[in-house]
Amino acid sequence: MWLSSKIKQVLMALKPGVVTLKYPYEPHPVPPDFRGQPYWDHHKCVGCGGCAAHCPARTIMVRDLCQEVRVMLYDGSRCTYCGRCSDVCPEDAITMTDKFELATGDKRDVTQSMELFMATCKRCGRCYEHETVNAIDRMSLKGFRYDNLEMRAVIPVSTEHLDTALLEKTEKYKRPEKLGE
Amino acid sequence: MPRIEEVTQQLSNKFKDGITGIDQPGATQFFADIKKEKVKDICNEIIKMGGRYLVSIGYDNIARDQTLGMIHTFAFDRDNIFCGIRTSVPEQNPVMDSITPDIPNAGWSEREYIDHLGMKFSGHPKPKRLILSDDWPEGLYPLRKSVPWNIQPPSAEGVAYQLDECPEGCTVVPVGPYHPTLHEPAHFALYVDGETIKGCDYRGFMVHRGIEKLCQTQLTYNEIPFVAERICGICGSVHATSYAQSVETAGNIKISRRAEYIRTIMLEIERVHSHLLWLGVAGHLIGFNTVFMHSWRVREPVMWLGERMTGNRKTYGMIVVGGVRRDITPEIKQDILNVMKKIEEELIVIKNAIVGDTSIHKRTKNVGRITKEDAIKWSLVGPVARARGVDIDVRRDHPYAAYDDMQFSVPVVDTCDVWGTVLVRVLETFESIHIIRQALDKMPDDGPILTELAEPIAPFKHAIAGVEAPRGEVVHYIITGEENRPERWRVRAPTYPNLQGVPLMLLNNELADAPIIIGSIDPCFSCTERVQVVDIRSGGVKVLSKAELEAFAKKK
Ligand code: SF4
Ligand code: SF4
Repeated sequence: MWLSSKIKQVLMALKPGVVTLKYPYEPHPVPPDFRGQPYWDHHKCVGCGGCAAHCPARTIMVRDLCQEVRVMLYDGSRCTYCGRCSDVCPEDAITMTDKFELATGDKRDVTQSMELFMATCKRCGRCYEHETVNAIDRMSLKGFRYDNLEMRAVIPVSTEHLDTALLEKTEKYKRPEKLGE
Repeated sequence: MPRIEEVTQQLSNKFKDGITGIDQPGATQFFADIKKEKVKDICNEIIKMGGRYLVSIGYDNIARDQTLGMIHTFAFDRDNIFCGIRTSVPEQNPVMDSITPDIPNAGWSEREYIDHLGMKFSGHPKPKRLILSDDWPEGLYPLRKSVPWNIQPPSAEGVAYQLDECPEGCTVVPVGPYHPTLHEPAHFALYVDGETIKGCDYRGFMVHRGIEKLCQTQLTYNEIPFVAERICGICGSVHATSYAQSVETAGNIKISRRAEYIRTIMLEIERVHSHLLWLGVAGHLIGFNTVFMHSWRVREPVMWLGERMTGNRKTYGMIVVGGVRRDITPEIKQDILNVMKKIEEELIVIKNAIVGDTSIHKRTKNVGRITKEDAIKWSLVGPVARARGVDIDVRRDHPYAAYDDMQFSVPVVDTCDVWGTVLVRVLETFESIHIIRQALDKMPDDGPILTELAEPIAPFKHAIAGVEAPRGEVVHYIITGEENRPERWRVRAPTYPNLQGVPLMLLNNELADAPIIIGSIDPCFSCTERVQVVDIRSGGVKVLSKAELEAFAKKK
């Protein structure tokens, strides 16, 4: 019993031969629909913030510096490559690339940021990226947002009009240490 | 009369005004509101009627009626019924009877809410801290709504968990928190007399990440599946499916049959993957690395298949509330069939090579032995229970997704030891391949794979969903909430009940067998430890700079 098992085990090990791949010395291509690092095309983005509102890892941050400037920051160090952002983007501005070798000693290598110039709607006073028409309809992130880009923290409040006091306060964002802080 | 009504009738006849209301939202689940004085009697009665304890859910209801809620859930496996026994205690005096003396597996659930909600259970045999880190401030109950999700109390020095008293004449052998045979942090203190284990205390929950609190306060319904999937690196789809099903049940959302078939296929692919992985780890734990290398070699094509189907080797990201994200095209279908054929052939070779190996028998037979009665008493689940002759399987007993259309058998063996868990898992892998073929064959084409949610989900609806993960049964409990997110979401992974049975399995075994006994439940500590508070261990962490790290590496 013991011996015949050992013979079977030797056969099991001999048949497949060497299976180890030479990676990373030889590249290992990925299949077509692979979900690698997302890439933002700032020509297409209208600044609707849909991706930020749906990112499960809260990796995409939005900060409205003033009425016309909206900064969007993608912090790849937290990204889970789920591809949800690219699913929801109404302008197809996000592609899931085939990049997966992303280990780095510098966080900036996996960070992308866009500064979008938004125009004010004469009727409702809200802002939209002016190069694409009718963008207001597609806005899913209503109002102004105040995420702290320095701390990479999402601040879950939005206001209808730009609130400069809040903008200043969120600049000094810190996690609470006690109740009521 | 359907069995569910019989059960509710019987309960209300017996306890009359001990039960204040019964809510039966569907044909397979009911919720009974009871007076807190009766909790022990009613739970014991349910066990007597053939119920199996699942998990308890505590929640903060202070804003509405100044109470803390507590729900004990049970399953009637032969009748496809889930039930929840709901009660509450006032915030000012949150004391209720413990059900642990009679239902030992409730021990951890109750301790969890001592830590998280500040509840008290009279008669609990071991009301020690379970989940929160030792330096977490007293009186700060993270699951209460008044505590912000991102609170970060300063860390404290000189606090440590007090292990149980070591029995007379025994020596403590610490295993963990970092240990070669445990791949995740957990601490077992084994009390040994010579070579024989006489007792054990467990301190885990070191990777407790606060997922439930995070999802209840920050994320929305359709973001949570992605977080749920990351509860476990191996049974990701299981958690996502279980979560999605609980929301769909609570919100009365009907999804297409095709989506259900795709979910079934994903779940079974995951099982094939997980069992091959476990077989390798088990071989490794008993020092048999040939098995380890070769079952992992056979497993690798499953990872590549996942990459082609879903865009990622693991954490597939397929399942969301309302269906699935990617379809199975004819090419992918053929691809799956080819991969499964190959795996089946290779697995037969592995199986034949190991079943007769006496060295494996010597290491696993009669090791970690517990009786069927004990397995039932401790509410063990999955292959661990099925290796002890307990015939339960959620796929058959509480069918979900497309399992009602599938023909499969549930392997049960009664060797009551570690060898049994090996057998059950190998046999199950063949069944899984069989299910995948059937599902691909019968898959209908009846509408969108993703059903859009037309209306908002009504708040304060309860639902239980169970899914058979490779390691056993996963239970998700949901209370829907306002603001497009759950009010309460409770996850119970299979390791949660099984790990509580480990001290019993270890008892009177040799010290050298401890790794394989712990390994035989296929423990997944990160699943078990999901839950609330974030970043408990902070401060005092030294971060090496890149230059320092390089210098350090060169020095070696
Ligand atoms: S891939 Fe997922 S985690 Fe990454 S940015 Fe997009 S939505 Fe967020
Ligand atoms: S969803 Fe698309 S258009 Fe909207 S902000 Fe994101 S990238 Fe820009």
